[in-house]
Amino acid sequence: MSFLLRQLIKPGLQRILLQSPVASRHVASANPEQKIQVSESCLKRLREICIDGSFLRITVEGGGCSGFQYKFDLDSKMNEDDLQFGEEKAKVVIDTVSLEYCTGSTVDYHSELIRAGFRMVANPLAEQGCSCGSSFSVKM
Amino acid sequence: LKGRKLLPTRAALTLTPAAVNRIKTLLQDKPDFIGLKVGVRQRGCNGLSYTLDYASSKADKLDEEVIQDGVKVFIDKKAQLSLLGTEMDFVESKLSSEFVFNNPNIKGTCGCGESFSM
Repeated sequence: MSFLLRQLIKPGLQRILLQSPVASRHVASANPEQKIQVSESCLKRLREICIDGSFLRITVEGGGCSGFQYKFDLDSKMNEDDLQFGEEKAKVVIDTVSLEYCTGSTVDYHSELIRAGFRMVANPLAEQGCSCGSSFSVKM
Repeated sequence: LKGRKLLPTRAALTLTPAAVNRIKTLLQDKPDFIGLKVGVRQRGCNGLSYTLDYASSKADKLDEEVIQDGVKVFIDKKAQLSLLGTEMDFVESKLSSEFVFNNPNIKGTCGCGESFSM
């Protein structure tokens, strides 16, 4: 009986497994291994501020005292080359070009007495950064 | 003139209403602490950066004590010269909330504004 059931489920499962990578490739043409982690504190804060359907957009741009710097924005419009991480109600969105410079890092909401804000931590591609962590240089 | 107490003409540090409110809410659920302590330390790409801690008492008798609107802020004795005349503000947005120091003595800051030189 269980054998029969398994045989019935198999084709359906295979179809799902086969379809999902195709579907995600369609959304973004980037290397699927490139991704960023979203910390629990970041998700918690995003659930509080993103009730109107907006999301946190991260961009990496040239500038700052170490070459590159992170920029955090609240946005509500997705672009074609965007990838999203996190949950549906707490989305972090990054474009594929920016992702190349910070793949593997973690988005964190850091709060201490003097300031509280979003920041990127543990970027494996960053060589050294400014003390505040908003700008960094890339390993060559 | 003898025996007259020297009173400073103005406070070494002024607080904006936003900063006063923030400090009040910070201290509300912490009865052990009576105020905050501001200091500077050698850090960052531009030399110095501000530090902020809870204070339970006046740690050093040379620390400057600023009382404004019922809020107490201590200035570390080593930071008094660099902080003289500074306005302490609290800026809050959806993305970040932070204490900002508008310091008239500084020459330059880092891009992010966290460290400064004088």
